Amino acid sequence: MAEIRLENLTKRFGTLVAVDDLDLTMPDGSFVALLGPSGCGKTTTMNMISGLERPTSGEIYFDDQPISRVDPGRRNVGFVFQNYAIFTHMRVYDNLAFGLRVRKPKPSSEELDREVRRVAEIVGLTGALDRNAGRLSVNDMQKVALGRSMIVNPAIFLLDEPFSNLDAAFRAYMRAELKRIQDEVGQTMVYVTHDQVEAMSMADHIAVMNLGVLQQYGTPAEIYDSPSNRFVAGFVGSTQMNFLPPSVADVKPPVNGDARVSVGVRPENLRIVAADSADARLRAKVTLVEPLGAKDVVHLSLDGHEVRVIGTPGQRPRIGENVGVVADMDRVHFFDDESGQAVR
Amino acid sequence: MATLRLENVTKRFGNVTALKDVSLEIEDGEFFAVLGPPGAGKTTLLRTIVGLERPESGEVYADDERITDVYPGDRDLAIMFQNLALYPDKTVFGNLAFPLKQRKLPKDEIKERVERTAAVLHMEHLLKRKPGKLSGGERQRVALGRALVRDPRAFLFDEPLSALDALLRLEMRAELKRLQRDLGRTLVYVTHDQVEAMSMPDRVAVLREGVVQQVDTPEAVYHRPVNRFVATVVGSPPMNFIPCTVGARNGGLLLKHALFEVELKAKGLALGESLAEGKDCLLGVRPEDVRVEATGDDAFDATVYTSEPLGGETVVDLQVGHTLVKALAPPSVGVVQDATVKIALDPARLHLFTDEGEAVLSAAGEPIFSIRPTA
Repeated sequence: MAEIRLENLTKRFGTLVAVDDLDLTMPDGSFVALLGPSGCGKTTTMNMISGLERPTSGEIYFDDQPISRVDPGRRNVGFVFQNYAIFTHMRVYDNLAFGLRVRKPKPSSEELDREVRRVAEIVGLTGALDRNAGRLSVNDMQKVALGRSMIVNPAIFLLDEPFSNLDAAFRAYMRAELKRIQDEVGQTMVYVTHDQVEAMSMADHIAVMNLGVLQQYGTPAEIYDSPSNRFVAGFVGSTQMNFLPPSVADVKPPVNGDARVSVGVRPENLRIVAADSADARLRAKVTLVEPLGAKDVVHLSLDGHEVRVIGTPGQRPRIGENVGVVADMDRVHFFDDESGQAVR
Repeated sequence: MATLRLENVTKRFGNVTALKDVSLEIEDGEFFAVLGPPGAGKTTLLRTIVGLERPESGEVYADDERITDVYPGDRDLAIMFQNLALYPDKTVFGNLAFPLKQRKLPKDEIKERVERTAAVLHMEHLLKRKPGKLSGGERQRVALGRALVRDPRAFLFDEPLSALDALLRLEMRAELKRLQRDLGRTLVYVTHDQVEAMSMPDRVAVLREGVVQQVDTPEAVYHRPVNRFVATVVGSPPMNFIPCTVGARNGGLLLKHALFEVELKAKGLALGESLAEGKDCLLGVRPEDVRVEATGDDAFDATVYTSEPLGGETVVDLQVGHTLVKALAPPSVGVVQDATVKIALDPARLHLFTDEGEAVLSAAGEPIFSIRPTA
């Protein structure tokens, strides 16, 4: 178990600043997601924590011990990559046992067996221990990879997009499982992902990064309900937040000198009503409906601006229909057009 | 304008049967999606239609003309692959003009068609740039333009959005749907992404290991899946399956679970041997049809395994007996890990499957099931 602290952490590759002056504290036992689009610096940050990359400047502390000069093998860090690193010619059992067998002093065979079975139980491989790892499904191979890094009982767990090669149904299943596993084993877990659903659903804290710079660090609720800038607001949420001029959205922005601001409102905080409804402050025309099964994404044209609204499949409007729109005014955000920063 | 038809198409690669007796009819002007996991045979299907693969047996027709043996270049079909192959040394104009130059069209006509295509895709301002200077979305648009500019009788797209980042994918999804509607041209669209397959097409074919499972509108596939596989590939999170045992009552059907009983009210259905008394079966219910913190007399106990806040909604993972069930709840739901909560299943949205995963029936809005907790 360990707290991870990054202080003024910077990594340059030639002229490219991959990670720019990053300060971040990940509490002991927490589940932290590093979230951002490709090229945001999340994997580089993770690689500096594990020791695969040396920082250009700044320091990394595990429980107040500076570790940037410590050999990667001595950092007591477990790693799971996107491309499962497993021995395909070995049984699942031997894959799991490997990390303990190379340890010095070597654990007793009873101890080793107990550990292998304990980890197999946690990751759901008890029934597959005698099978050849190369013959497993892709999903089960990733479970082996997860189990292999768990068995050495690292102080810190680093996972780099571990589910991105897996099918959607299994990803949904593993999200809940990994959250439960982290809760049970209690190690500090750092999870790199570009998938905001994974970050939101599993992490205690999310660090949103873009172009090497930390944009916001907070709980999923803070990131979602109070995004610090327009990038965070647009990146988090499965259907992107709408951004509109205040005059089009018919709301009065908070006074902020001469600054121009945009109104941000999430698709689920807008509701479609009848065009002649008394509640309807805004009028729009339906341009497209995307049915998703449980809900619809309805595209509207509002004074020439495209707006997305979450709709109910049972009350689907027709394309071309004129409708009214009601916004949940408690959930409207404002962003400075110049800086992108949230205005509150 | 084109209809496309596959008749009993089988394609093998060595020992692997990539397509097994596939028959499909794609209508003129239709947006037709092919959905399946990697390795399902989707790309092979597309390549067989355009002529890059020759089937071992079966026939391919376009507009009732048999094209199985027609040279790919003479089929008048445009394919767009997942990996955009743009010419890096040519400008956007040059990239768009290339397929027309190859056909030796007159210069004015090439210019006119390239400009019209650029206008349709809102990229007139990009024509002089080279691909290296374009964003991912712009490059995607150029690749799309190169398919459009030829004005073929049908388009075939192979996972065109899968290389894009999430936000751009969202934007292009709506844009492609609009574009297809405006052009009114037949489009076969291969994807492994259920959101794309649900939201964009008129109809979708679900493919598994080379075999067509179901061909229907996205709504029908979602609400009346023919088997467990189809039920799982559409919907996110996927459908839950709760094992039950078949019991009998008053000649009707009763499904028994340790925590609840489901009665099938519709009588006189031929349910067959697979649902004889004492057999195992599966009750299917989608996460949005599981209500957490329910109060009605149909509610029963479940234990909270974990919860996953997504912002706009929260996935609550529940332990129902020995089964893990996912529920979609509003973000305001106040559940605590390991606590016991009351949950209810929407009886008008239940699905019944045999133990082998074949669908028996889906309520799809009809009040044919009723649920009560076990006394």
